[in-house]
Amino acid sequence: MASRPRRPRAAAPPRDGLARRRLPMRLLLPMLVLVALVAMLMLRGYVHSEILADHRIQPEAATDKVPEKILEGGPVIDTRSGRATSLRVPDHRLVLTFDDGPDPTWTPKVLDVLAKHHAHAVFFVTGTMASRYPELVDRMVREGHEVGLHTFNHPDLSYQSDKRIDWELSTNQLAITGAAGIRTSLFRPPYSSFADAMDDKSWPVTEYIGSRGYITVVNDTDSEDWKKPGVEEIIRRATPHDGKGAIVLMHDSGGDRRQTVQALDRFLPGLQSEGYKFENLTEALGAPSALTPVTGPELWQGKAWIFLVRVSDDITGVLVVGLAVIGALVIGRFALMLLLSGIHARRVRRRGFGWGPAVTEPVSVLVPAYNEAKCIENTVRSLTASEHPVEVIVIDDGSTDGTARIVESLGLPGVRVIRQRNAGKPAALNRGLANASHDLIVMMDGDTVFEPATVRELVQPFGDPRVGAVAGNAKVGNRDSLIGAWQHIEYVMGFNLDRRMYDVLRCMPTIPGAVGAFRRSALERVGGMSDDTLAEDTDITMALHRDGWRVVYAENARAWTEAPESVQQLWSQRYRWSYGTMQAIWKHRRALVERGPSGRFGRVGLPLVSLFMVVAPLLAPLIDVFLLYGVVFGPTQKTVVAWLGVLGIQAFCAAYAFRLDRERMSHLISLPLQQLLYRQLMYVVLLQSWITAVTGGRLRWQKLRRTGAVAAPGGPGQRRRTHHAGDRRPVA
Amino acid sequence: MTHGYPTGTGAHPEPTPSVDVPRQRTAHPAPTAPKPGRDRYLDLLRSIALVRVVVYHLFGWAWLSVLFPSMGVMFALAGSLMARSLSRPALSVIKSRVRRLLPPLWAFSAVVLPLLFVGGWNPVKDPDNGGTWGLVELIDYIVPIGAPPYPWHAGTLSGLVDDSWADQAAGPLWYLRAYLWFVVASPLLLWAFRRVPWATLLAPLGLTAIVGTGLVTIPGETGNAVTDFGVYGSCWVLGFAHQEGVLAKVPRYAAVSCATLVMAFGLWWASGHLGEDGWDLNDIPLAQATWSLGFVVILLQYSPSWRELPGPLRRWDKVITLSNNRAVTIYLWHNLLIMATVPLIDLGYRLPFMQSERASSALDSTYTMWMFFLVWPLIALAIAAFGWIEDLAARRPPRLWPNGTKRNRAGDGSGAHAPRG
Repeated sequence: MASRPRRPRAAAPPRDGLARRRLPMRLLLPMLVLVALVAMLMLRGYVHSEILADHRIQPEAATDKVPEKILEGGPVIDTRSGRATSLRVPDHRLVLTFDDGPDPTWTPKVLDVLAKHHAHAVFFVTGTMASRYPELVDRMVREGHEVGLHTFNHPDLSYQSDKRIDWELSTNQLAITGAAGIRTSLFRPPYSSFADAMDDKSWPVTEYIGSRGYITVVNDTDSEDWKKPGVEEIIRRATPHDGKGAIVLMHDSGGDRRQTVQALDRFLPGLQSEGYKFENLTEALGAPSALTPVTGPELWQGKAWIFLVRVSDDITGVLVVGLAVIGALVIGRFALMLLLSGIHARRVRRRGFGWGPAVTEPVSVLVPAYNEAKCIENTVRSLTASEHPVEVIVIDDGSTDGTARIVESLGLPGVRVIRQRNAGKPAALNRGLANASHDLIVMMDGDTVFEPATVRELVQPFGDPRVGAVAGNAKVGNRDSLIGAWQHIEYVMGFNLDRRMYDVLRCMPTIPGAVGAFRRSALERVGGMSDDTLAEDTDITMALHRDGWRVVYAENARAWTEAPESVQQLWSQRYRWSYGTMQAIWKHRRALVERGPSGRFGRVGLPLVSLFMVVAPLLAPLIDVFLLYGVVFGPTQKTVVAWLGVLGIQAFCAAYAFRLDRERMSHLISLPLQQLLYRQLMYVVLLQSWITAVTGGRLRWQKLRRTGAVAAPGGPGQRRRTHHAGDRRPVA
Repeated sequence: MTHGYPTGTGAHPEPTPSVDVPRQRTAHPAPTAPKPGRDRYLDLLRSIALVRVVVYHLFGWAWLSVLFPSMGVMFALAGSLMARSLSRPALSVIKSRVRRLLPPLWAFSAVVLPLLFVGGWNPVKDPDNGGTWGLVELIDYIVPIGAPPYPWHAGTLSGLVDDSWADQAAGPLWYLRAYLWFVVASPLLLWAFRRVPWATLLAPLGLTAIVGTGLVTIPGETGNAVTDFGVYGSCWVLGFAHQEGVLAKVPRYAAVSCATLVMAFGLWWASGHLGEDGWDLNDIPLAQATWSLGFVVILLQYSPSWRELPGPLRRWDKVITLSNNRAVTIYLWHNLLIMATVPLIDLGYRLPFMQSERASSALDSTYTMWMFFLVWPLIALAIAAFGWIEDLAARRPPRLWPNGTKRNRAGDGSGAHAPRG
């Protein structure tokens, strides 16, 4: 979703002091947002058992270290303060226990059945489920049931360190407190069964948990309802013999619990008629309640926890929607681009295609130059080799490196030099326009090299009198470095997919500053170039659309340009582009409600451009956030496969664009890295522009606009001389 | 698993520095050939690799093998230097390399072998490789055509150290064997590289895919030698490519992108073949080979050829020079010295103010950290004590503390300048 290449014009680094002072704030905000997002995702991962989940189960071990009386004793084991005693439930009392809940579907049904038969029970809830469904925990307590700990995310505690066990207990307790305002002193270990199943691995854990003040509750009969053995079988297994009391193990979570609910509905009245009472544990034992109300900071801690979990769930929901939106946008955009660029290529490559009568009239080429001593000779010589009759006007915008003198000393026929006090690129272009003798104007950068056919190809669309401006095809010359290859891919896709699409939709947002042609009459109608925005080329293109002109793409008008070679240069170039685009969209916002061609552009072009260039990149980081989360916390394989799938689509589109442009495919090898390193840079730049626009306020907007505008004319020349950045160019 | 190539323990032997460190800037320029300019970037890589090896052997963090594949880097640098030397007659180059390698090893063997015998090791009765053969293999302590044998459990030297100390101390010696074979094979490899560069570069990966994945298992020390040759062969040949300028001719985007793909394959392979230490690439030959190769391609592709270290790195200049001049010494001795920190730190428990429960548990929990701080002064001592042998082996006047400063004649150095790291 990187912004598409438009003007291959490079970076005037933003005014140093300005950039340095503001950079931390601009970075701070996205960083804070990112950290908050990641924290929320992690929290959600915890309570959904995606993080820290441990599914190992200890195999059976020897029992020689477990006291005999425990192995033969009852299911309520008290190991507090060094004790080792156990209790049984008296005859004709049944304590139903439900593990692993609460579950949003089945727990309410279980509660309903219990209420219907006036029975009480004990629910051993996990921290994860209690955090997610606190209202159910609250209802349990309100309806007279007891709640016990079943750890936070259900690991086999015999594998865990004391620290982890403490964490499991305290976080589980925190969730229960937050949900129902109580503490519990009951605990049931995960994967536990009867008291005689205690072994040398689980007994030390039981002792440790006792030392933390909890009573461990295992069971007498196991309904094994999680195996879904049928209602009859559940009842048979749960029922104790000979009117004995029992603690019965059941589950209200972890899958379809229909059989459990149905079994309860028969089991309860059946045994009640035999004289059984269904009570919670302390009622059955005749002991004081295991639940104690909590007040003060502890309660608020619990409530805060529940709140945070809820927020993280909601935010994740929003993020998932955002991810779906961005996914749909990406795929939709690719589909649209493939379709429309195919149509465009087929249309303009049809045998006998022409825009109208061949254009042979001479052309004025404007070359605004600011400190282009290194490149200007190549640029001008490539123009004089043009197959089309041209008049070359180099406008020297107050260069200090003798750019003008170099051109003059070449002594080439048909090449004029105009000097002006440094006034910025729009002013230079306007001055060139005033001095141009012809009605067709080509604009290029001082570091760009044309092919002999470029000018001719560029002006052919003017055979159609409705065409007011033409965008050429800018190519990256220095494409063998990594950053160059990435930009090469970006340019080829930008020119062969995006621009063809915009051409067909008649809403091309930008004529690249490196290679574009204009009808003088069209320029004059919209008042020439303006320095209202940092992106005067986007600004003028939008103005032409609103004036009713067609803007088209000439694929064979190739111009070779030098792309920024360092991240810093690239950053400032793209920052100006994306901020300038936002300024231009804002400047032309009234088109949205106007009539005629302006209204058409305002209602089709502007929203499209805003969506693809301004809104979509805002959501793009979600892809990386989810990619990272998925790779680290799983499902790793699915995440990687999904990412590779999207990469495949990208590669297909890129390959199609390369084929349209007849480029060698070898540079596509750097596409995977581009997606991992370059794309992020592009959207971070755009986020920065957003932040500048939103937080900067009007004043800063103004200030930045002025400084940027004067820094603009340099083009790549300036980037190579960053030490000149301190030379303030006088404001026009 | 035979002797000499333990895997899967926290601090097992790993690669190491090139034995092949060329002459440093010194007060005594080499008698032969004009002094070649030092590429300080390569020196920096070698120093990082060394420090990484020491830290890895000390803490045993598996992820360090992913963070910086030291051995791949070292073999690539050594391969590059070898290719440079091979403009001279091959036999004399090999002889000079071997001559530089052996004396430092002899010094090490002269200390370790007696300790092993004192610890009760009898190579004739070794359970792994007893008999006459066990005796014959002792030759590896003199000329490491194989990795020198050692007992898995040696005497504890009066209870001072753990009985695995021999494994720790002699384990890293496999590197010398690998290096020796690379040196001997280099004329042939270079000949092949000049004819079919790509095939020669990738052939070791192919070899690793066969012998390093369980497809074919060659038993014994021969198998270890072949596997190591495969795992690091591509890095060694890459050193040729760097030296011959072939690597620089590959467009950077292509080199870096392909390297990333190779590395991605390595990670993927590792994820499916995790060893008992998880992501420790030293236990996963094919992952180690591909990850190292890709990593080194990127390091050498961006090789900036510094004549001098740039700004912020300049303060490390002396350490980098010293560690490059004494790379063999540091590598040979570091693991034994890590072991030697243990009895030293144990003295701490006897200090009068360390008698409380809390104090000794504080020492327990910070034990490795003390080892880390203590091992550097010990390495400095080893440099002072044995480092000069490297100079003798290279037919240079011996120096005590060759850190590149002008006053580095004998007598100047003292253990005080422990390498920072």
